[in-house]
Amino acid sequence: MNLKDLLSPFYVWQRAFEKPLTSLRPIEERPGAPRYRGFHINEVGTCVGCGTCKLICQNHAIDMVEVEGLEPRGGDSGLRPRFDYGRCCWCALCVDICPTSSLRMSNQYAWLTDDPDEFRFVAGVDAKSWNAHELGYRRDKDYHLVPTKRLEMPMVPPGEGLKSFDEVVKGYSAEQAKLEADRCIECGICVATCPAHMEVPDYIRTVREGDLEEGLRILYRTNPFSATCGRICTHRCEEVCPVGAQGDPLAIRWLKRYIVDQVPLADYRRILGDEIPTESGKKVAIIGAGPGGMSAAYYLRKRGHAVTVYETQQKGGGMLRYGVPSYRLPDDQLDKDIDYIVSLGVEVKYGTKVGVDVQFTELLEGFDAVYIGTGVNVPTKMRVNGEDHPRVLSGPQVLSDVAKGKDPGVGKNIAVIGGGNVAMDCARVSRRLGAEVTILYRRRIEDMPADSEEIHESQAEGCRIVQRAIPVEILRAESDAQVTIKWGEAEMVPDPKGGRPRPVLQEDRVHEDTFDSIISAIGQAGDYGFIPVAERDKLEIKWGKLLPRDYQHTTLEKVFVGGDIANDVADAISAIEDGHHAARGIHQLLAGTAEAGVERKP
Amino acid sequence: MNTVDEILDFAIEREQEAADFYADLARRAEKGGMKSVLLGFAEEEQRHKAKLLAVKDGQGELTPHQEVIDLKIVDYLVEVEPGVDISFQDALIHAMKREKAAFELYTDMAAKVTDATLREVCRGLAKEESRHKLYFESEYDERVLRDN
Repeated sequence: MNLKDLLSPFYVWQRAFEKPLTSLRPIEERPGAPRYRGFHINEVGTCVGCGTCKLICQNHAIDMVEVEGLEPRGGDSGLRPRFDYGRCCWCALCVDICPTSSLRMSNQYAWLTDDPDEFRFVAGVDAKSWNAHELGYRRDKDYHLVPTKRLEMPMVPPGEGLKSFDEVVKGYSAEQAKLEADRCIECGICVATCPAHMEVPDYIRTVREGDLEEGLRILYRTNPFSATCGRICTHRCEEVCPVGAQGDPLAIRWLKRYIVDQVPLADYRRILGDEIPTESGKKVAIIGAGPGGMSAAYYLRKRGHAVTVYETQQKGGGMLRYGVPSYRLPDDQLDKDIDYIVSLGVEVKYGTKVGVDVQFTELLEGFDAVYIGTGVNVPTKMRVNGEDHPRVLSGPQVLSDVAKGKDPGVGKNIAVIGGGNVAMDCARVSRRLGAEVTILYRRRIEDMPADSEEIHESQAEGCRIVQRAIPVEILRAESDAQVTIKWGEAEMVPDPKGGRPRPVLQEDRVHEDTFDSIISAIGQAGDYGFIPVAERDKLEIKWGKLLPRDYQHTTLEKVFVGGDIANDVADAISAIEDGHHAARGIHQLLAGTAEAGVERKP
Repeated sequence: MNTVDEILDFAIEREQEAADFYADLARRAEKGGMKSVLLGFAEEEQRHKAKLLAVKDGQGELTPHQEVIDLKIVDYLVEVEPGVDISFQDALIHAMKREKAAFELYTDMAAKVTDATLREVCRGLAKEESRHKLYFESEYDERVLRDN
């Protein structure tokens, strides 16, 4: 023992007179290492509130909370993570899983405060000294806990696909489906975005776990057209999937298809357990056997109501059958959905047009409720000079002819006018009929309302898209078997109100081209001719759409409406949800449990 | 027409005529939903009239030099007959044509009058009409040409 050892206990006394290390006397901070896992920072504008950080946190240190003043855009839950530093262990799993990389950590590690409540804070929202720190831990851009690439879907090559109307998408194998399902982070942002609020993470989990019967039950809780939607849904769920923020979104639509494809129709009744309850004694008439009408029929029949569907065509499905070509949606898959609904005891009167074969007023008198799901079936005309030329064909008519096995006679060199799905389908159908196809569209490709996949596949199949091309006039060609279109180039000008840019014709850049036919596919409108004027005048119709109130109820007491004739979205999944929603309203009306229809649906 | 008030009275009368025309057509319209559409057009014309009345009363002003986009949609559309079976699309076409005709009328008047003040008023009215045309063209672009 030396002298120092003898004196060392007394050195403690020199500290006895110092103030403790508190907020009044903070320690001298040493800077954290550049990638230190310090306090959390969240880029609130990049975060979509998916809550994956909360799910992965092993200490339950994260809550998702509402943030005042935050106006969430589509695909954003509006919630943001609140951290509890009484629980956090700074493991950074939350940062590693964050699909948008909005979450990171500063390299600040010291924080003194008198108020323990401050240790629960909303990162990036509550003002913190480290919010502007650049240093600290963040996930490397090439490091992902969830694979960013989706399992490639086996497809028929474009050249092969053109040889027939057979389905182009082949579907996942069991192994592929499970691997793709593994990418789901179960955030549920997709549920809020899906018009039918399908329980996406739940049915994807059944793929992962191999319990497809449970998967089918989950699908049918919100959508009785799952074989169809597994193929042609507009899949807005995928557009908002946070996994897609730094890679490919989950293939939600293909996983839905996988479930349905594995279950034969013969097993549906056993699996779904759809036993019809005691007959209610109430009768509902449905006009139109499209997705909305048949969806309403399914959910009403399950509640014991007698349902009669009136359909003009000889088969059900509406635009799904007569507007969507079979290479996207084969007839047998649509039949699978419809046959199951009909098997529950839904009566469908095919070839029966309301307003001709049976009057609307007869339905009002003979039924307890009526659902209108007639869709939009009157093609919008271009309204340019010469449009009545016999070689100007209607897009919906071309698709209907093909669906019925008729040759629409498009010719070998054609133009399609329009940029929606009908235009793309007309173009691709015409390619299969052997035509060279030019698509003339007033705006730019990025403005096209068609699904991006449809646009991409049209191009892959050899369709030429001419952007910013405005039809000006239709002229007679030298041969009566042909037609000439005069079209002008457009310049895009900004919309003063902030909408999408608008095309303006440039009169000095006008061209003439001759084709075997021109297919006009610029939109469709509803037809209310089947409703007598007295009833029609009581209905609220705005901008060509029948306005629904709560539960799709119209201003006529017994009448409900849904689908393309009532909503601006005009896609199958919205029609299906409208039918489901209306079924709830009709049931309430018939059961006398509530009065449907006071407030307009927002 | 030799005074500003006379020109404004003429323009106000035309807006009232247009409002009456749409209101009358709305009463007779047979297609579903067209009554409310046409009544909406009549209200729009009444708004135009109200603005001109405000100008006449010194409560508002014309803006002959303000830039207004010409979408030129109406330039290549056919003439339509506004009958009882008029469709939504045709009603918009008719409205666009009507506003364009008014624009051309005031533009002609501006070219013919010699008085500088009156010329500015005519130009201001022409600009108003082009603004009305833009309103209907924008509606047509959004609602009729959605897929095109």
